[in-house]
Formats: sequence, C-alpha cells, structure tokens
Amino acid sequence: MILHRQTAKRILRGLDRVERGATTCAFLALIAAMFMDVLSRELTGVGLHWARQAGVYANVFVVMFGLGLASAGGTHIRPRFADNWLPARWGPVIERLQDGLMSLFCLFIAGLGSQLTWESIRLGERSTLLPVPIWPVLVAIPVAFFLVGMRHAIYAAWPGLRPPDPLKVNDKSTIKGAP
Amino acid sequence: MMEALLLTGLIAALILLRQNLLVILGAAVLYVYSAYGDDPLRFVVLDAWHALNKDILLSLPLFILAGQVMSRGAMAQRLVRLVKAASSPIPGGLAVATVLSCALFAAISGSSTVTLLAVGGIMYPALLREGYSKSFSLGTICAAGTLGIIVPPSIPLILYGVMTRTSITDLFIAGLLPALVLTLLMSGYALWFNRRMPAGELDWRELWAALKEGVWALFMPILILGGIYSGHFTATESAAVAVVYAFVVELCVHRELKLADSHEVIAGTTRVLGALFPVLMFAVSLNTFLTYQQVPMAAVDWFSGHVADQRSFLLGANLFLLLVGAVMDIGSAVLILAPMLEPIARALAIDPVHFGIVMIVNLEIGYLTPPFGLNLIIAMGAFKTSFLETCKSALPFLGLMLVGLLLVSLFPALSLLLVG
Repeated sequence: MILHRQTAKRILRGLDRVERGATTCAFLALIAAMFMDVLSRELTGVGLHWARQAGVYANVFVVMFGLGLASAGGTHIRPRFADNWLPARWGPVIERLQDGLMSLFCLFIAGLGSQLTWESIRLGERSTLLPVPIWPVLVAIPVAFFLVGMRHAIYAAWPGLRPPDPLKVNDKSTIKGAP
Repeated sequence: MMEALLLTGLIAALILLRQNLLVILGAAVLYVYSAYGDDPLRFVVLDAWHALNKDILLSLPLFILAGQVMSRGAMAQRLVRLVKAASSPIPGGLAVATVLSCALFAAISGSSTVTLLAVGGIMYPALLREGYSKSFSLGTICAAGTLGIIVPPSIPLILYGVMTRTSITDLFIAGLLPALVLTLLMSGYALWFNRRMPAGELDWRELWAALKEGVWALFMPILILGGIYSGHFTATESAAVAVVYAFVVELCVHRELKLADSHEVIAGTTRVLGALFPVLMFAVSLNTFLTYQQVPMAAVDWFSGHVADQRSFLLGANLFLLLVGAVMDIGSAVLILAPMLEPIARALAIDPVHFGIVMIVNLEIGYLTPPFGLNLIIAMGAFKTSFLETCKSALPFLGLMLVGLLLVSLFPALSLLLVG
C-alpha cells in the first residue's frame, strides 16, 4: 500500500508539472496575442484580425488545465453554509465521497467532451478566423476533465494526499502567513 | 413537478456532501437537459464550449493576472505611505488613509481579499499603535477591503457583463461614482468617529518621497480607467496593457518580482481561473437551456403581473440579494442569478448597467454579513480575533454600506451619469 501511495504521489506531481507547463505557455501566448493586437493598432492603425481568436484558444488551454491546478490548490468554489449540518465524525467519509463524486463527474464530462471532439473531427470543423481545425483546441476539454477525474480518484483513494482547505488554513495563520 | 422536486433534492444532497459548485451546477445542468430537453447530453458540453469560445471573456484572466503581479511586491506599502503622508494633517487621518489605501489598492489588485490582507497587514497594526480602538480598526479594514468588488476593474462586474451581455466598459465606468460614494461614506464616518484624535503636520518632504515611490502604482488605475473612459481601449485591450505594464513595473522598475517568480504568479492566477471558468461554462450552458425553454420570458411575464413598479422590484431584489450574499460566494451568485434577474429588471425599464451595479453592491455587503462573510472569516484568521468581535466591529460599516446601497438603488444617475 505504501508503494501504491508513492506511485500516486508521483502521478500527482507529474500531473502538476504537465498542467503548470501547459497553462504557463498558454497564458504567455494569450498575453502576447492580445498585446500585439493593441501594439499593432497603435503603430500601424490596423489591429491583428487573428489575435482575438488566438487569445480565445489560448485561454481555453489556460482555464481547462487550470481546473487541475485549482484542484491541486484546493481553490474550487464551494458552498459552505451546510458544512456543519451533518455530524462531524462523518467528515472523513464525506471528504472521500466528495472526491469520489468529483472524479465521477469529471470523467463523465470527459466522455461527453470526447464525443464532441470526435464529432468535430468527423465534420472537419475549422476556425472562421484562423486557418486551423477546431478539434485540437476542443480536445483540451476532455483531456483536462479526464486528468482532474484521475486526480480526484487518487484523493479519494488516499485522502492524505488531498490539499488542505485554504480557508481552514487561514483560520490558523497570522497576517504574515496568509496568502 | 416531480422533476423539480428531484432536482431540488439532488442539489440539496450535493451541498450536504460538500461538493464543489462545479459538480452541483454541472449535475443540475445534466439533469435539466435529460429531464426537460430532447437533445443528447453532449450538447451540455457544446454549450459550455460556446461559452468559452468568446473574446469578451479575455479581460478576466488578464485583469486577474495584472492584479496578482502588482500585489506580489511592496505595492501596498508604497500606496499606504503616500496616502498616510497626504492625510497626516487631518484628525483621524490614519483611519481615512486606511479607507483610501484600500480603495486605491483595490483598483490595482481587483480583489477584496487581497486588499484586506495586503493593506490590512500594514494598517491594522499601525492603527492600533496610534491609539485607534481595536473594534474600529478591525471594522475599517474589513469594510474598506470590500471596495475591491465595486472599484473597477472588478471581476464580478466582468462576470455580470458576460452573463447578461451588458457592456463591460459601461459597467466599469458606472462603478466609479458608487465606489466613490461608499469610499466617502466610510471616510466620513472615520473622520467623525476619530474627531478627537490629534492631527499631525503635513511633511512635504515625506509626501514628495512617497509620491516618487508610489507614482508607478498610481498610474495603473489611471492607465486602465483613463484608457477605457477616453474610448481609447476596450476593457479587454486595457487588461492586456495592464498585464504588460504590471510586469514591466514589477520586473524592471520596482524589481520586487524576479523572472523566476513569474511562473508562480501565473500558476496562482491559473488556480483562480481554473476554479472560476468551468463554473462559468456550466452556468452559461444552463442559461442557454433556460433561454431555449423560454424560462426567463415566463419569469418576466409572471413578475409583470405581480410587481407593480421599479421600486417594488428593486426593494425585493435588494432583500433577496442581501440574503443570497450572506450565504453564497459573489462569483457564483452573479453567474447563476444575473441572467435570471436582469431580464425582469429590463422589462421594468431598469437600465441593465444600473441593475448590475445594484446587484454587485448588494453582494459586496455579503462580504461583511455573518456567518459566511468572506472578509469576516479572513480577518478573523489573519488578525487573531474572535468571530463575534469581528462581526461586532463590522456592524457600523454594514449600516453605512446599506445606506450606500439605498443611494445607489434610488438614484440611477449615480451609476449612469458617467456612462455615455
């Protein structure tokens, strides 16, 4: 079991690296496209007609792979008003259920997303402003949801690997330690 | 009827099981598509994709990144030093400086919690040291920290614009005067409350030094708002310029950010976006479905028959949103409720820009409302105070913000005067 936990830890670290790399590259591309558009308009009087679409596509990668980083940082938005409605001793079971359900949901969306991507490939859909097919961007949805599904399945199996709740951490931190 | 009960049960069960909003909203969307629609379920993802494939959304990641870059270094210290120097000859000047620093820093960081922690971390100990009461100091920091919600560039205003197809540029401009009203109300109260505090002398040398140190930070809101207000930039373009400006200032001028740190700043921003955007995708997907099923139109018809005038609607909406703000995160509330309430407001001839500002001010108050007010919770942890003490300290400011809300609701000109 210890060996399995180590493997799971390694997988999470790998996922983190992939998601961080992908989002940083995509974010830089987004900034470059949008700023070049403004710069071109200021210098030549004409903006870059492709820049916004390129920015939108870069943003898809940023937010889709950012989904995994949000899971890794425990920053997902969650309604908290009912947190104390169930007995406190059920906490560990509920946390496992929380991750298990999140994993199932993400894997289901990944399945729907892959159907959509396949349909886009079959129809040969292309971007209206860029000379590229849409599916290489669309595929970010099933891939990202699949990776997040994997991540939460690991958290459900090894609850010790799930990130701490940032708001609970805040309760104990001083102003210097707060994010 | 049975379907509606099952949907309510599903949502309640997921909330009890502490699910993320993404799962709650996603499950609700999947349920309504399968229970009420004829299309295959992959259309949920197709609608979500269409939500993401919009250039109007690009200002969100860029403004959030610009705020994260500018908040990384000692920007808060610079602004606080400047405002402190300028307000030193006024009795209770440090309290006014706290409110103004929060408003200025909010215009740069775009975040209430970041403002609370960054400015509060400097000003809270300074206020206590100078003899201001603990309760007043805590309340000021908690309340002034919320100004980031309404001071442009505000993320909730962008979300409202996206969900209701209202011009983000107009919303930013419309937010200026209400933000000023709230700042004046808080500053006025700070002056009155501390009228017996001793006044200092204006130190011109310190003021000049502080101005030289803080001028780059001060130029950021001028660049963003000036660019938008003059019509030179759209909201998205000004966000792109703001990001590049923030990186240049922090890397080359202040030198408080190393190139190697940029990777972490981007990762931090992406964590925020990764939590926000997928929820936005499913919210748009749900909204598309509801519009297709003509639900908003039915709601408008129902309200037209039951609500006599604008004021009754605004009163009801205010009470409802105050309640929602007390238990719900502001982003989620805007994503879910804005597309439902805005058509009703529009049908009653309430300007969608004005309604957007009213909605955001309402939800801003939620940051100070127990038991789930985010600023209360964060202040309690950060300043090591009890929950009861934090709530009590925020009470006078809660009253002031309700007065501000009343003014913004009753006088649409406050929001619409500067909008072309």
